[in-house]
This record gives sequence, structure tokens and C-alpha cells, in this order.
Amino acid sequence: MNIWELSAQVMMFALAPLLWTAMRGDARHRLVSFYMVGTVITLLMMLLTIAFDRMPMMDLAIAMALMSFGGGIVFAHFFARLLR
Amino acid sequence: MKTIAIEVLLGAGVLVTLLSVLGMMRMRDPYQRMHYIAPPASLSAALITLAIFLQRGFKPESFKALFATVVLIGMNSVVTHAAARAFRIAELEDWHPENEEVPIKPSDKMIPEKTS
Repeated sequence: MNIWELSAQVMMFALAPLLWTAMRGDARHRLVSFYMVGTVITLLMMLLTIAFDRMPMMDLAIAMALMSFGGGIVFAHFFARLLR
Repeated sequence: MKTIAIEVLLGAGVLVTLLSVLGMMRMRDPYQRMHYIAPPASLSAALITLAIFLQRGFKPESFKALFATVVLIGMNSVVTHAAARAFRIAELEDWHPENEEVPIKPSDKMIPEKTS
């Protein structure tokens, strides 16, 4: 196990409390946890790309960053209009 | 020497992320929680990208990581603002500050006019 795999595995522990809060509580807490999960998974993709030495997987990190941006904007818009 | 630098950068990046998640769990208000998205999206991403540059050199994957970091930094500010605005609209029907919330005179032109 190299340092990249170890970092990725430690980073995965950050997802557990975020997933817990993304499933319970009111909608505002769940939405904030969703944003944080998107950021952490993007970082995780970057770490796993180097850990497994599969360089095209870095595109997944870019896709995840861009899609969590779009998803965040859409969720915020619909939260203000519909989900409150 | 390069290996030690990479390990330090990765350790700092992961530590910042873990501490931010723990800080987010400690906060009760969603407005307070949103502040804790910024350190992983900016500092951790920058540290990990620097480690990737040290590990791989000036290769395409390094620049892809840099692009993802730039997207994360830009995304964080925009999405956090949009979410805070949405929460406020959901609570008060309007995101503009109320008079008692404004630390300057209500007649000041710096206060945006309410459009109802």
C-alpha cells in the first residue's frame, strides 16, 4: 500500500458521517452534507487515480467537480422554490 | 526528499478534510455548516494537486487535477452562496436583509431595494 492508497482510505472515513447526516435531519442539513460529499468524492477520485496508476480516471474527478457544481445550483434553485 | 514532501502534502490535505467534516458535524446551524465546505474545496484540493505535480511532473493528469481544483474553488463559492440564498428565501420569502439586520442606516443607498 502506497501513501496515495492510504490517503484515499483515510479520506473515505470522512464520508461516513456525511452520509449519515445526508440521510437524516431537515432538508437544509441534508443539502449541505450533499455539497460536502461532492467535494470529498472529487478529492477521493484524484487520490485514487494516482494510487491505481490509471491516469484517464482523472477525468472522473473533473466530471464529478463539474456535476456537483451543476447539481448544487439546481438543488439550491428548487429548494428555494419547491422543497421548503 | 520528494517523497517526504508528497507525504506531508497528502497528510495535510487529508487532515484538513477530516477536521472540516468533524467541524461540520459540530455545528447545528446549516449556515454555520456551509463554512466548512471551503477548506476541503480550496486548501485540501490545492495540497493534493501540488502532491500530484510532485509525483507525476508536468503531465496531462497533473493539469487535469489542477483544472478540477480550479472548478472546486470556483464551485464552492457560487454553490455556497446559492444555497444560503435559497435557505433564506425558504425561511423569509425574500433574501434581502431586513432593516434590523443592517448595521447601517436603512435610508442608505447601499441597501438593495426590495422588489416585491
